[in-house]
Amino acid sequence: MILERLKEIVGEDYATDDDAICTSYSRDQHFHFVPKKKPAFVVRPGDREEVREILIFANENRIPIVPWSTGINVRGLTIPEFQGSILLDLSRLNKIEINEEMMTATVEPGVTFALLTQEAKKYNLRAAYPDAPLTAGVLTNNYLRGIYQTSVIDGHDHLLSFEMIIPNGEIIQTGSRALNRDLPYFRYGLGPDIAGLMSASPGTWGVVTELTLKLYKLYEKRSSYFIGFEDVEKSIDLVRKMAREELVSSCRLVDNQSWLIGMCGSFEFEYDKLPNFVVCLLIDGLDGIFQAKDKIVRELIEDSGGRLLDIPESFKDNFERETLGGTERSCMVFGIRGNYHCIGLYGPLKYVPEYYELHRKTAREVGIPEDYVYFYVNPIARFHGQLCYVELDIFYDGSDFDLAEKLKEYNKRQMKNLLDLGIYGWFRPYAGIIEPSIERAGYLTELWKRFNEVVDPKHIMNPGKLW
Amino acid sequence: MEKEEVLNGIYRCAKCKLCTITSFHPREELFPICPSGEYYGFQAFYAPGRLEILKGILDDDIEESDELLKIIYSCTLCGACYEKCKEITKVDLNFSEIFEEMREIAVEKGWVLDAHKDLIEKIRETHNAYGEVQSRYQRKEGDILYFVGCTSRYREKEISESMIELLDKLNVNFQILEDEWCCGSTLLRIGQVEEAKELIEHNIDEIKRSGAKTIVFTCPGCLMTFKKNYPQLNVELLHSTQFIERLNPNLRLKNLGIGVTYHDPCHLGRHLGIYEEPREILSKIANIKEMKRNREQSWCCGSGGGVRSAFEEFSSWSARERIKEARGVADTLVSACPFCKHNLNDNSDGMKVYDVVELVNRALE
Repeated sequence: MILERLKEIVGEDYATDDDAICTSYSRDQHFHFVPKKKPAFVVRPGDREEVREILIFANENRIPIVPWSTGINVRGLTIPEFQGSILLDLSRLNKIEINEEMMTATVEPGVTFALLTQEAKKYNLRAAYPDAPLTAGVLTNNYLRGIYQTSVIDGHDHLLSFEMIIPNGEIIQTGSRALNRDLPYFRYGLGPDIAGLMSASPGTWGVVTELTLKLYKLYEKRSSYFIGFEDVEKSIDLVRKMAREELVSSCRLVDNQSWLIGMCGSFEFEYDKLPNFVVCLLIDGLDGIFQAKDKIVRELIEDSGGRLLDIPESFKDNFERETLGGTERSCMVFGIRGNYHCIGLYGPLKYVPEYYELHRKTAREVGIPEDYVYFYVNPIARFHGQLCYVELDIFYDGSDFDLAEKLKEYNKRQMKNLLDLGIYGWFRPYAGIIEPSIERAGYLTELWKRFNEVVDPKHIMNPGKLW
Repeated sequence: MEKEEVLNGIYRCAKCKLCTITSFHPREELFPICPSGEYYGFQAFYAPGRLEILKGILDDDIEESDELLKIIYSCTLCGACYEKCKEITKVDLNFSEIFEEMREIAVEKGWVLDAHKDLIEKIRETHNAYGEVQSRYQRKEGDILYFVGCTSRYREKEISESMIELLDKLNVNFQILEDEWCCGSTLLRIGQVEEAKELIEHNIDEIKRSGAKTIVFTCPGCLMTFKKNYPQLNVELLHSTQFIERLNPNLRLKNLGIGVTYHDPCHLGRHLGIYEEPREILSKIANIKEMKRNREQSWCCGSGGGVRSAFEEFSSWSARERIKEARGVADTLVSACPFCKHNLNDNSDGMKVYDVVELVNRALE
């Protein structure tokens, strides 16, 4: 009966309960933490009206819905928790509209960063990018707040407004959309910031069917520098200056082994001979401004005590392309050992040495080899509170189940340790993160749950992913 | 492959799906590269989904269904996903090989498509994939043997005729097996390893009897099968384009004055690494322009891996996609594989499609 109704809504070819097709949505790269589970149905709606009809039907019948846009970098967030779930594959919704005048893109869930880059480039515009592959969804990454490659100049929040369908079939337009759907360009509209309230949730409010985001100018004038440091404190000092002075478009502090490979786009280099920590800087802008910024940056590099690294030009080209045109080579990190685990968090730059030491210490305590342990820091504009995205990485072989057990223990201990030390927040609500956090959040958690209850009283939206 | 080896490979897939598009930078244009995924849409039809399903099969955690068979057998085994993945992640696991392995497991379980059962029956009866009465050539001289292959012999005869004419024009002494059987490629690609054994044994005996020292193929599928599945033959194996390139200094070729674009056959390019020889030859006789998807990142014509015989609509769609791309570049599309030519020609909508040897034969003065 369920399948028949789904087929009525989307057509015979786009709904199935076939075991093989359901299996293909049952596991992702985070499988050691979120076990495999098959949805009972997979449905691929072709427009927002079909999405709405599916939600109304699921709500009436209390059937769990798991929204899925492109299925990439999801770390367990689209693996069903309950039997009988409908996986809502939104990849057919892939319309994109660039508004050059407003410097925005309006996208549906199936639009990838590759498609957005291709279209925006026609207008000499670019998106802000995550370190996720170009095949990842633009809408979900912006909705889940995970964009940081050019955050040192673009900031953290690129989302202007969105349209969300909630389980009873009502359609919510946020920000200026609420007053006029043709004017979706302002984050704030009537009343509270509903976009702020409802974003960063793993499909637990409703289904976002359209989202408008900021685009940024592409400049021809560019230069990039890689500066090596043996000492993490000194490298942080350079990062702090770059972020405070707002001189660069990208500023990323990495170790010499992991993400640097993707930034350079080659496995063939003696990365181990480089200093332990590398600050990667990208400058761009209108000619005169660019020249001035470039001069100041070079002076600051000279004063930093770091070593300007002699990196092949092709590596610099790759870094610029990946940073301003979307990430392809950064997936080379999967070539290190096959899989990777990370804890992504927001915190102040001055805590970075402590985060790093804690990362190494906890990994050592649970028996993870030292050369599996890496890290990554990205300052975010404006730099009040020294806001940084910090990633504590462990690259490992996914078929090593013994190491996976150690990782689980690492996760448990490290989340508590980090909360004790002090963080601003987590990157995303991945498995295991919510439980230790909500204990500390007091009445905020209760309020959050109540809001959720108002929008989704029958708990059909990706149940079990938050609580 | 051992189960553990396959599973370890599956665990390496991070499901980034970069294997579904061509290299994006520095061109910054988006081109899909997985025909079955693009056509059918569900995750199951892309490499990461298929790997997940293979895991389900190995774990005995999947139910047989028509859809399962479609997923297993609708991959053209073009290998584009593997080329992309190994470039990005250095993955060892060859996806074409692993998806062939999946078919072998399916065959062991009795999960065989009706269309493939018909194909097997035809080969059993006639020793060729088209069920044709065997045509014979009277060529018995020389150390060089031209292995004609089923498609050049029974469907794209212009290719075999051109090759024979070309060899004659060049005064090459060559022979053709009087009793050439299907090389087994068609069966091996659909997981029918046992069925292919008799064909392989027969051809090995015939070749040994012939005394040939070099075998030349116009079909890359046959060439690949010989390289992988014909052990201890101790004979040099060459594709027609390699053979022609070797003769090149002695060839007097005229420029045909036509604009062409070259379609890399998956077996010849991605599976055997032969990209430059066909281009070298073509550049001497025509004005060659590249399609955006070329070499390692070429779009498959849609006929390989037993797909054309089982999923005709999908196979034709894939060919039409290639024709569309070629039409934007040149008037004439050239390939170096009879199977590609067969499928592209059938879906060409008037575009001229040739094999390299046909044009070389025309260009020989």
